[in-house]
Parts: sequence; C-alpha cells; structure tokens
Amino acid sequence: MNGLDMEVDVLVIGGGTAGPMAAVKAKEKNPALRVMLLEKANVKRSGAISMGMDGLNNAVIPGHATPEQYVKEITVANDGIVNQKTVLAYAQQSFSMIEELDRWGVKFEKDETGDYAVKKVHHMGTYVLPMPEGHHMKKVLYRQLKKWRVDITNRYMATRLLLDRNGAIAGAMVLDSRTGEFSVIRSKAVILCTGAAGRLGLPASGYLFGTYENPTNAGDGYSMAYHAGAELSGIECFQINPLIKDYNGPSCAYVTGPFGGYTANAKGERFIECDYWSGQMMLEFYRELEGGNGPVFLKMNHLAEETISTIEHILHTNERPSRGRFHEGRGSNYRDAMVEMHISEIGLCSGHSASGVWVNERAETTVPGLYAAGDLACVPHNYMLGAFVYGRLAGESAAEYCAVRALAAVESDQVERERARVLGPLAHRDGLPPSQVEYKLRRMVNDYLQPPKVTRKMEIGLQRFAEVAEDLTRMSATNPHELMRAMEVHAILDCAEMAARASLYRTESRWGLYHYRADHPEKNDKDWFVHVQVKKGDGGDMSCFKRPIDPYVVPLDEEEKAAYDHLRITKQAAVA
Amino acid sequence: MPLTMNRVSVPVTVDAEKCIAGKGCTVCVESCPLDLLAIDKEKGTAYMRFDECWYCLPCEKDCPTGAIHVDIPYLLR
Amino acid sequence: MDLLDIGEEDVMVPLLVRAARDADASVRAEAARCLEGMESESAIGGLLDLLVDDEPEVRKAAATSLAEIKEASHGSQLLDRLSTADGFAKASILRALRELRRTEAYGPALQALNDGDPGVRAAAVGVLGYLKNAQALPHIARLAKTDPDPEVRRITVGALAFAQHAPEVGAALVDALKDSSWQVRDEAATTLGKLGDRAAIHPLVEAMDDPYWQVRLKATRSLGKLKAAEAMEVLTQTLSHAVSNLRKEVAIALGEIGNLAAVPYLEEALNDPDPDVRKMCRLALSQLGALKS
Ligand SMILES: Cc1cc2nc3c(=O)[nH]c(=O)nc-3n(C[C@H](O)[C@H](O)[C@H](O)COP(=O)(O)OP(=O)(O)OC[C@H]3O[C@@H](n4cnc5c(N)ncnc54)[C@H](O)[C@@H]3O)c2cc1C
Ligand code: SF4
Ligand code: SF4
Repeated sequence: MNGLDMEVDVLVIGGGTAGPMAAVKAKEKNPALRVMLLEKANVKRSGAISMGMDGLNNAVIPGHATPEQYVKEITVANDGIVNQKTVLAYAQQSFSMIEELDRWGVKFEKDETGDYAVKKVHHMGTYVLPMPEGHHMKKVLYRQLKKWRVDITNRYMATRLLLDRNGAIAGAMVLDSRTGEFSVIRSKAVILCTGAAGRLGLPASGYLFGTYENPTNAGDGYSMAYHAGAELSGIECFQINPLIKDYNGPSCAYVTGPFGGYTANAKGERFIECDYWSGQMMLEFYRELEGGNGPVFLKMNHLAEETISTIEHILHTNERPSRGRFHEGRGSNYRDAMVEMHISEIGLCSGHSASGVWVNERAETTVPGLYAAGDLACVPHNYMLGAFVYGRLAGESAAEYCAVRALAAVESDQVERERARVLGPLAHRDGLPPSQVEYKLRRMVNDYLQPPKVTRKMEIGLQRFAEVAEDLTRMSATNPHELMRAMEVHAILDCAEMAARASLYRTESRWGLYHYRADHPEKNDKDWFVHVQVKKGDGGDMSCFKRPIDPYVVPLDEEEKAAYDHLRITKQAAVA
Repeated sequence: MPLTMNRVSVPVTVDAEKCIAGKGCTVCVESCPLDLLAIDKEKGTAYMRFDECWYCLPCEKDCPTGAIHVDIPYLLR
Repeated sequence: MDLLDIGEEDVMVPLLVRAARDADASVRAEAARCLEGMESESAIGGLLDLLVDDEPEVRKAAATSLAEIKEASHGSQLLDRLSTADGFAKASILRALRELRRTEAYGPALQALNDGDPGVRAAAVGVLGYLKNAQALPHIARLAKTDPDPEVRRITVGALAFAQHAPEVGAALVDALKDSSWQVRDEAATTLGKLGDRAAIHPLVEAMDDPYWQVRLKATRSLGKLKAAEAMEVLTQTLSHAVSNLRKEVAIALGEIGNLAAVPYLEEALNDPDPDVRKMCRLALSQLGALKS
C-alpha cells in the first residue's frame, strides 16, 4: 500500500466486534462493493472479544422481554437522556441478530428443548443470555469474513479521516504499525468501529495497559470523528466499572448473579439494589467506600461447591481467562474468601454507559458518508449485541450510500498536514518517549477528572492538558510500534479534553457517579434534560452545545417512572 | 534531551526448547492484539519486545507447541 | 486457527482431510479442529472417521467440530453413520444432530434411549428434546424415573419442558421432585413452572421443604409463574429465610401471584437487610397496587 493508490467503496476501521459484522453486511447487501476491514491488530484476535465473551447482557428475546420494555429499562438506567429511536432499533433487531449468530455457530445457552436460557439481572425484564462456550466468537466472525471475501488489512492504524470540499467523507489516512509507512485510502464511506476510549484514566496499579478495555482501544475513533467535524454526545457520562482490584477485569456480576453471587461490603452484606452496572450502582459503591463499610467485595463463598466450580469454569476460560491465574497468584479462592473489588479509572464507552459519536437509528453520524457502530457510537448500554446490531445497520446503510456516490477528490494539503503530524516523532531521535507523555497525561486525567467532579479541578485539568498538547510535538519514536503509541497519545489527549469540557458544560449531577459534580450535586431536569454535544467549532476550538431530546417513542407513564425511582436506595436505607 | 534505559520484568516467557520460531513459526507475533512479541532471529525464539501486556492470552493459547507462558504483569500481581 | 488461512474452503478441505489421516496424532487433532465449520461431505466424512481414532484427544476434537454443523441437509450423512456407530461415536453424532432438528433422527434417538452408555442416552434425550415431538414424551418420562444415571435423569427432566397437556409427564416430574439428586429436583422444579400446569402447585409447595435452597428457589419461581395463591402461606414464611437470594425470589413470586394477603409481609420486608430484597418487595407492592410512596 502506498501513496494515494488505494481505493475502496466502504472502509471499515476496527475489526473487533462491530467491524467484522459491518463489513460482512455491506458485502451481503452488495457483493460487488469493495469492502476493506482495516485493523490495528489482527482481526482473528482483536478487540474486546479477542478471547470470547461470557454472555449477552441485553438480549431482547420474545417471551422474556419486549423491545418496548427494554427501551423503558434503558431510558431509566440512563436517567432519561436517550434518543429512544436508536435504542428501539437495537431492541427490535436484537433477536434476529441472536438467531443469525446462532446460525453462524455462536453458542448460546439453551435449555434441554433448545430454547434460549435467559437469566434475570436487570431491574424488570430478563435479558442475560449466557454463552458458556463463548470463546469461539472471533473464529465464527472470521469464517464469515472469508466467506464474503472481505479484504482484511491487519496491523494498520487509521489516524485521521479524509474529507472532501463539502465536509463529506473521502477516505482515511493510515499508518502501517510494522513499517511506519503512511498512506491514504480513498473510500466513498467510512464505518468507524474502533471501540471504546479505554486508555483514558490510569489504572490504580500504574500499569498503562492494565485497563478494563482492550488497550488497543485508545479512543482513536472518538478523536477521528471529532476532527472530521462529527457531533459526539454524552461524553460527560463516563464509563466507570466495579472491577476486581488490581486485576482490573470484570468480576463478573452477570455471570455470578444468576448463580447467587453478589457485591457485598466488608461485612459481607449486600448494599446495592441491583448488580446491573449503572452510574447509580457505582455511586452506591463509592458511598459504601466513603462511609467506612468498604472495601467492597464479590461474595461467592456462600455458594455450593458445584455452583462455584461452574462459575470458575466460565470465568476462567472466556473473556478474561487470566482471572484464574491472578487469583492463584494471590492464593485466593472463591470458596474461602470474598474477592476484593474497586472502582475503575474512567473511560469513554457507549457499550457500557453512553459516551460516543452521535448516530441515528441507521448508524449515520452527522458527517455524510461516516457511520459508527459499537462502543464508540452513542447508543447507551449497547454492549456486544448492540455492537453487532449497529454493525449490521452501519454496513447496510453504507452500502446504500455507496450506490449513489462517487469517490471524492482528495485534497493534498489535508494529506500533507497529516503526514507531517504522523511521521513527526520519527524525525527527532531524542524527544519525549510517548509512554512517559501518556503516563503523565493519564495520571492528570485521574487527578482532575475522576468523579466526584469538581469545577476548579477540571479547569486546572484543562490547563494541564494544554501543556501536554505542547509536549505532543516533542515526542520521538524509535520504531514504528512506538510511533503508533505516539499517535494514540494524541487521541487520548483529545478524549481527555472532550471529557473535561463536556463535564464542565453540564452544570448538574446525573447518572450517579458517572457525572457526579460535587459543586452541582442535584439533578436539574429543567435546564439539563438534554443531550450535551461536543463538536469541533468553525475556529477549530472544541465547543459544547445542547441538543433537545426527541419525544419518546415509548413513553413512560408517571407511575412507571415513580416505581423506578423507588428502586434507588435512599441514603438511610444504604446505611441500614 | 538526555534519555536513559530502565529495566523492567516482562510478563511473557518463552521456552526456548519448545519454540519453533527457527522453523518459521510466527503465530504468537501475529495473534497478540498489542503487537508486543517479536522473533529473535539469532536465537530462533520469540520474545516479548514491549512491556504493554493486557494479559489476555491469545499468544499462549495459539502457540502450537505450548512454548509461551503469560504471567500477570508484576505491578498487578 | 492458523491453518484457516491457507486459502478458500474448496482448496483447504482436501488438504485437511489428508492431514486427518496423518500418522501423528497431534496433526490429526489439529486437522479435526480446522475442519470445524467446513460444511462439505468430505469434511464431515473425515470428521466422522476420526470419531473412532485411537487417540482420545483426536476423537474429542472431531466430536467438537461435528457439533458445529449448522446446515440441516448434512444431517443425512450423520444419520447414515449413526446406524453403525456405538459408544462415544454414537453419542457425538447424536449431539451433532440435535441442533439440526431433523425429523428422521426421531427413530434412532428413541432407540438410543435404551443404550447401555449413559452418554448415548443423554445425547438421545437431547435430540428428542429439540425435536419436540409429543410422541416421545412417554418414553422420555419413563427415563426420567428409571435411568440409573443422575445426569441423564436431569437432562431428561429438562427435556420434558415441551410437554403441553400431558398428564403422564406431570406425574413423572412430580416424582422427580423427590429424586435423590438435588440437580434433578432443581431441574424438575424449573420444568414444572415452564409447563404451567396448576396440578403441580401442591407438589411444588412440598418442594419448599427441600434441604437444598437452590431447589426451593426454583420452586418459588415456578409457584410465582403459576400464580399459586395456594402457596401464600409457605411463601410468606420463606420471606424471612436466611438465604437472601431465596427471599428475593419469594418477593417476586408474591408480586406475580397478585394476592393482597401478601401486603403486610412485603411491607415488613421493606426493612430487609438486603437491598435487593427490599427492591423486589417494593416492586411486588407496586404490582399489587399497594405501594405507599
Ligand atoms: C472485559 C470485557 C468484558 C465484557 N463483557 C461483556 C459481556 O459479558 N457481555 C456483553 O454483551 N458485552 C461485554 N462487554 C462489552 C462488549 O465486549 C463490547 O461492547 C463490544 O465488544 C464492543 O465492540 P466494538 O466493535 O465497538 O469494539 P472492539 O471489539 O473492542 O473492537 C475495536 C477494534 O478496533 C481496533 N482499532 C482501534 N483503533 C483503531 C485504529 N485507529 N485503526 C484501526 N483499528 C483500530 C481495535 O484493535 C479493535 O480490534 C465486555 C467488554 C470487556 C472489555
Ligand atoms: S497476553 Fe495478550 S497482550 Fe500479552 S503478549 Fe500475549 S497476546 Fe499480547
Ligand atoms: S507461537 Fe510458540 S512456537 Fe511459534 S514463535 Fe511463538 S512461541 Fe515460538
């Protein structure tokens, strides 16, 4: 690959979960399209599901839950700030996606008559569908990519999107992470599937790569969408998870919950209403720690031996299989003692919370020709199945768009500017090492952005980020790998700035701990029942603005809202 | 700008007896999502080149000879 | 996984089938793994041959790959081989047939219920459970009672969940509530709830005395599903059980049953030490229209 000579119809960036689905669906829609799947790692083993997954967290299966019920659930779980149409589109297509994945060879738990064995974890409906043999995920996707003859390009990192004169997509610029070569891929449409911004906060261990998310997901897509002029939304609704301390992986309540495991305080008592991950749940977690009842644990030592060995089998073979090794190293065992948990560093991820690139129910962003799916697309609590459904929507929408588009002309000054930025760190031999810049930046993120959020601290944080921005031009890279890391630091900085600005803009508290502002502790529906959008302003500065919430397509009546409100633990109850 | 090299212990160990990189195997290098492994051409074995491990295990799982072992990185252990 | 990259399927299958006859067992096992998902006659034939390999590792790999077959038309090839297979191979073929839901598998599966190998019997029940052919019910029900292997009995009891309006099944399940293995009792309590037969209420109430709380939990869930007002007494008592998972399930069931007699008990349980239980009590009270805000 070299210079301006690559041309495709659809360029899918990120080959984790949503990306392979998008590529296959674009091809299925129109097999004549040239579809390229560009991946920073290797499609066979990339992304959040590189080692498979424990199960579906949000399966909407007839007989167990209805799409409307699910939309209500997510509306409440996300404190009302949702574009319900996007959630409904997911919910309505959830089941057909499960059936398709099943046909492709993904194994879901079934009962002895072949019906799906759905488990209850959420507040109202029943949505958890375990995948006891979920480690096959990537193999199944890979087989489909081969079948549909998708052009797979591994070990390339996209760094910026290319725009035409009218601000529509013209392609992307990419870096070969093995050779350091810079090139341009022209395309009619781009689908961003680059996952979460998982390297934003610094894990308490101090290990840069000891993150919850797969650390290849540094937030590149958030940054690329931002620089392309796309709107991002809900950035202030951070991802913060309850994790196994130090290991920093899920514990995982969805697996252990149906078996009777739960989150407990130091006395072994349950203190949260529901182990479903939400900002409110994290706030209760935080209060328990602050209130002297901590640390918080995952409790399983009351369970029967058979139950524990089943749980172990699931937790130690899928998703984060090194969990078992971690416990072994500490000499700890689910049978004897509770497992210590902690509050993770912050990240941006719509799969788990709500931060992402704004999309509609067709996976279209606000930039013509740009689509987004998965953790980086703003469809709250979308998880893995949401990544698949939006991957499908994005692939189909992009294929349709290609039918009426020609390749746009490439503006060479855009390319030259980007080439200079990307290759800059190779030019000076003795500049700042990217790892050091990253460490400092992410430590600042912890110091100034980790909730509870404090206005003055976030302002200071912005000053520090501006100083780090100056350092970016002083980074040096001694090899292509380090160059890739340097480019990731640029993306992390963009995400940090967005996180600070969006958080400062919304002067209220919402989503429990995710946006808990110590100096604006109350929720204020009168002024803030809106989306907060982040966008690159015309002058190149970052701007925030309000976007009204579209009328609900699935209205919640007052009683339902009230019933949900009562589900929250009051302060007194938490102490009791 | 003056720079220095710090020593770090890395989580991945490769059993030189078992590793068949000398015969052309690069499976682990290809499967690592973070691109941390490389082949030492002189020794004919794989090794961990960058200390940026997610302890996710594809390298170990995909190695055809069982030559790789991943520990939890020291800072987390 | 790497062999997958050699090329397209039509090129790879012959290579892999040849590798499946290699002298080296680890090569054969790897070939078996790589043949997974390649749905052609020769690929499946190769895998079927490996089911009787000398090496257990190879046999296991072949069985796993066969279970991945998704295309129902390949069922014929499996059925052909079934008639001559026994033991591990027979169980594996039956397991591969389960997802394909081929009606022709019905006869052989029914016969296999009498096989001496528990693995074969379990796989045969699996096929029948997925086929959901009501004619099989008396046979499955008999096994639920008589099979010496507890795991076979458990699967059998689970497979009965497709029985609608079949009294003999109800009787077998009620007996299974008294099985010596708690896993069988657990499964029986669940299945009775799925069937929605109110005749199960009394036995389920009795199962609330089971020594295993897991069984009581499933019985509670099923009593809720059956809207069993008859269970009010035992359920309200259980609302103070030591295991909080059970109390939680009881609160849900009381909401589902919809009997206002539960209100005072649920109100009292609003002070439960476990917030999850408190939440379910509030939810139940609001379902009963009795939540004071
Ligand atoms: C530990 C863990 C456990 C989870 N458990 C569950 C669960 O049990 N159930 C559930 O439903 N969900 C679960 N999730 C969430 C679910 O896995 C994600 O929501 C989903 O996989 C996200 O898919 P994605 O395609 O957006 O991102 P990913 O699958 O992470 O893919 C992103 C891809 O983009 C690539 N990439 C990044 N930047 C670039 C770039 N600049 N150029 C090229 N490529 C790039 C990355 O290498 C990666 O392969 C879990 C997530 C994690 C991390
Ligand atoms: S454990 Fe994961 S990140 Fe670490 S070297 Fe192996 S594949 Fe790479
Ligand atoms: S996969 Fe195993 S054998 Fe191959 S190079 Fe890596 S360590 Fe060596």
